[in-house]
Amino acid sequence: MAPLLEAIGIGKTYPGGTVANDGVNLSVNAGEVHAVVGENGAGKSTLMKILFGIEHPDRGELRLDGKPVSFANPREAIDAGIGMVFQHFSLVPSFSVYENVVLGSEPHAGIKFDRAKAIAEVRALSEKFRLQVDPLPPVGSLPVGQQQRVEILKALYRNARILILDEPTAVLAPQEVAELFVAIRSLVAQGRTVIFIAHKLPEVLEISDSITVMRAGKTVGQVKAREVTEQSLATLMVGREVALKVDRADTDQSRRVCAVQNVTILNERGNEVCADLSLNVHAGEIVGLVGVEGNGQAELLEAVAGLRPVAAGAIDLDGSNVVPLSVLERRGIGLASIPEDRIASGLATGASVAENLVATKLNDRRYVRNGLLDLKAIGANARKLIERFSIRVSGPNAAVGTLSGGNMQKVVVARELSEQPQLLLVSQPTRGVDLGATQFIWRSITDARDAGAAVLLSSADLSELLALSDRLLVFYRGRIVAAFLNRGDLAPETLGTYMLGLSTQTPDEMRAALK
Amino acid sequence: MSATTSVPNPHSRWAVFRREAFRGISALVIALIVAFVVVLFTSKAPFEAMYQLLVAPLQKQRTIGLWIDDVAKLTVTGLAFSLVFQARQFSMGVQGQVYMGALAATYVAMSPLGTTWAAIPLCMVAATLAGAVYGFIPGYAKAKLGANEIVSSLMLNYIAIDIVNYLIRAQLSPPGKGLLMTDPFPKTAVFPALVANTRIDLGLIIAIVCVLAVWFALYRTSWGLKLRLVGHNPKFAEYSGIRSTFIMVSAMTVAGGLGGLLGSMFVNGQAFGKLTILFEGGLAFEGILIAIVARSRPLAVPVVALFYGYLRQGATLMGIRTDVPAEVIGVVQAVIILLVASSFTVPGKKLLARITRPAGEPPVPHKVQETQP
Amino acid sequence: MTELLLTVFSATFFVTVIRTTTPLLFAALGGLISDLSGALNVALEGMMLVACLTAVVVSVYAPWYVAVFAALVAGGLLGALMAFFHLKLKADIILVGFAVNIFAVGATVYALTLATGGDKGTSINLPSKAVPAVDLSFLSAIPGIGPTLTAFLSGHSILSWLVALTVFLIWYFLYRTPWGLWLRGVGEYPAAPEAAGIAVNKVRAWSLVVSGALAGLGGAQLAMFNYIGFTREMTAGRGFIALGAVLLGARHPVGAMWAALLFGVFEALSIVMPNLFNWIPAELIHMIPFVVTVLALFAFSYRVQRRLRVKGLA
Repeated sequence: MAPLLEAIGIGKTYPGGTVANDGVNLSVNAGEVHAVVGENGAGKSTLMKILFGIEHPDRGELRLDGKPVSFANPREAIDAGIGMVFQHFSLVPSFSVYENVVLGSEPHAGIKFDRAKAIAEVRALSEKFRLQVDPLPPVGSLPVGQQQRVEILKALYRNARILILDEPTAVLAPQEVAELFVAIRSLVAQGRTVIFIAHKLPEVLEISDSITVMRAGKTVGQVKAREVTEQSLATLMVGREVALKVDRADTDQSRRVCAVQNVTILNERGNEVCADLSLNVHAGEIVGLVGVEGNGQAELLEAVAGLRPVAAGAIDLDGSNVVPLSVLERRGIGLASIPEDRIASGLATGASVAENLVATKLNDRRYVRNGLLDLKAIGANARKLIERFSIRVSGPNAAVGTLSGGNMQKVVVARELSEQPQLLLVSQPTRGVDLGATQFIWRSITDARDAGAAVLLSSADLSELLALSDRLLVFYRGRIVAAFLNRGDLAPETLGTYMLGLSTQTPDEMRAALK
Repeated sequence: MSATTSVPNPHSRWAVFRREAFRGISALVIALIVAFVVVLFTSKAPFEAMYQLLVAPLQKQRTIGLWIDDVAKLTVTGLAFSLVFQARQFSMGVQGQVYMGALAATYVAMSPLGTTWAAIPLCMVAATLAGAVYGFIPGYAKAKLGANEIVSSLMLNYIAIDIVNYLIRAQLSPPGKGLLMTDPFPKTAVFPALVANTRIDLGLIIAIVCVLAVWFALYRTSWGLKLRLVGHNPKFAEYSGIRSTFIMVSAMTVAGGLGGLLGSMFVNGQAFGKLTILFEGGLAFEGILIAIVARSRPLAVPVVALFYGYLRQGATLMGIRTDVPAEVIGVVQAVIILLVASSFTVPGKKLLARITRPAGEPPVPHKVQETQP
Repeated sequence: MTELLLTVFSATFFVTVIRTTTPLLFAALGGLISDLSGALNVALEGMMLVACLTAVVVSVYAPWYVAVFAALVAGGLLGALMAFFHLKLKADIILVGFAVNIFAVGATVYALTLATGGDKGTSINLPSKAVPAVDLSFLSAIPGIGPTLTAFLSGHSILSWLVALTVFLIWYFLYRTPWGLWLRGVGEYPAAPEAAGIAVNKVRAWSLVVSGALAGLGGAQLAMFNYIGFTREMTAGRGFIALGAVLLGARHPVGAMWAALLFGVFEALSIVMPNLFNWIPAELIHMIPFVVTVLALFAFSYRVQRRLRVKGLA
């Protein structure tokens, strides 16, 4: 039987050079639940966007019912029977459920919006597919799981034959996941097809019929769920040669610099993103936080930096509790942080390089006295740092926005490492950065460690973590599920098992590496 | 060894200045062409009208004096708006600050202090403080309540005008005469003229000092750097530990002080020497245009004010001497604002570049960043 | 005091209030439409002013209904202009709005001098027309309440009856038609209608045009009934008070109506009170709508912030 939807040899390169898809194949049969799995950056989102008409492939072909198709925009994809539920919902908070579902295709009698008909239709759909959503309340008042089902209703209302769900379980609590699976099974029982992107392997294996594995923009495997083991799946997803290595000096790692004690962090919706987390970081070591994005690592770093409140627990820096301290005060006792998104929160692109380099030190007497800027000192500092970090720029007064991604990141690194910090927080240090700058930044982080800094490193790039870290802590759903000493014999596949939720170490196994 | 490249630097002060000047002048030229077309179709003597507009201000010492006096006032309001725009706030309250400042200066001038040698400095201080308080109100409301500063500052403008009008009529104007103005201030409370028989007075010096002070504050103090960083990227400012709310409120307060000072320049100046109703004539709002064309750069503000003030004077003379009313400058203003505001953004830039690019000059590189007002 | 009460509760005062409210309400409804679509229109003042002049000048040469229509078109065109610069060229809508206001002041005086052959202040020399009042004096025939009904209901401008109808029409549009849903969705959360295939920019552009047209009708009433003729800057801040009415009315057409009525009462008071109370200065009465707007803005923002804080989001 011919597959319902096929992608053949899809290639897509974004302007700027990122190769998102490099010969991707996908083959989905009618009436099945098909999972697409892969790490961050594997190219899954791009493939889904192409399927839904948001992006257009540079090469390759899409086939629906055996016939070649291409979608110029989402409307065309919707008309062809493809519906997509994004991770970030497009729902108007004050509108009711049925208003959101029918928006844009409202039933009407003349010019009047036939609300009664809309309510009835939405209720009928909800019952037919076991979605259990009440059409009347405003969407903003619903819990996330229900909001997601409203999004599914939207797609169904427009007669989607194929539903694409982008990481649907990322925002759900466990009971909501169970409810979602009930809905998915009933969708399939009624003849629809579901494709979803995921990386929580236990769930994937529970619900899918077929799985396509992607890595680095390519399809590396298409398997049937009942024919595959968890381990082989993890290997497919994560396996690679660890090529890059950075030499680390021997350091005295006995002094504990930072202690995170039973910290719980909530997100904007009140869900736990970090649950009763404890870890220690010592001087002279790099602790790598391993995990798929969204499992709590980024939020933990923000909390230590002072940008996110802590719901429970304590964070200790060199003996004093930092939770009540402001960002500036924490910086004052030796905390430095390289943020995840340099353009959004690490730099002011309209200001000059010199100004950016000194922005976090505006109460430092060397640069500011009696409220006046010491331009000479600021300029000298900038020139010194530009040279030390080999930042390619025309001069200290150039606007930061004119630099390349790698050089912008070097500005951030230069600023944070201009003085030896006590505790360095690093998040995605080389995302969007070219190879040369990557090597340089790795060297800078390692040098700081060698000189005695305690470093917490979070990255979606496993090879980066393996190259730099002394210890590795694996995050899954806001908890630490595994801890390893990085002795060079650690395989990415092993980490993958824990990253994807397939197993958890016992507290005894973790103790040595948790220190 | 330095890391500078040997490519001609597109970010050097000179290159930036040339680009900005070119953009400002193109907008001006286009606006003048629009004005000319309008005048051509509606005036019986269009060329005479344009001649008056473009040449007349230079012909007499008196008109040159009016021009320079206007430039001083336009500079100060342009500076006030530049400050708030650099912090990315849209407080429009300069007009209200001018009136409150003028009121405060009037009370000082008409008090016993007004006849002493300290009259002028005290008037200026009182005016600046009054304006600062009046600028503080919308700022504080925005910081504490999240109240939209555009609406609140605009409303406060009208309120200030009503208060001043009332006080003039009921208290300050000499009783019984029914005039809508106060008695002239004592000579000690009036700025001395710098050039005899013209309106050019101490206000010009005040304006120059303000330019330097605002420039210094923005580019040489940590407060100014924090303000600019908050304007560029509030999230980054938070990450760096900068208190954004304090900066926002203080920016609007300082700008308010400038507005208040401008009020003193009006009523203590040679132009008036007293408080009359509606003395300001809408000049405060022209600061918006100046700030936008000057890209909120304090050093560019007086230059823009010079050109714009000239146009303004020319329009007035054209209005007196020909059949084209001075108000045509409103059309010119609007066109300039629309063009310059559009030129900040990519689709606008493309359109403008296609219209105004001289042959041979390469298009501005796509990555060049500008300060947004 | 009794004199004040007698005045306020009289039929003539009611008629005055309706008269003052009409332009405010038209403008407020225009502001409401554009605000609900996510494009704050600060140019209501300028749009009304241009419409005033257009109505006056056109009425010299054409019947009153053509003049009213011309005012509507003038406002709509300004709305289209704003849409072009804001949506196509991505200029900041506040700056575009201010440009329109500045343009309006200058252009109307200029056009006035052209039309009157030199008079810059008013159009007093122009034989401009008025919008007719609707005469319901036949109601007097009803026994008992007849004369009272006549006193209250007769003599209003035809545009006043139109604005009352418009409130209903806009309410119906916003809450009973699909396109009203689209508009409200575009203003509250544009990603949602966009995902549903609705052209967000087209909706906003239309809302700006409609808001201009409504402001235009307000200008027509102002220059052809409240006053007959044009005076420079005759709108005197009504466009901004209308924005205040939108806020005070919690962004709902009926709320805007009550808010506009409130402001209309204050304006009517400022006409009537100087005769009764020379100890309350006219300027302070004139100031009341602006003060109320500021206070309403503060109260409204405070409530929004508190709600966000309760949710733990602010």
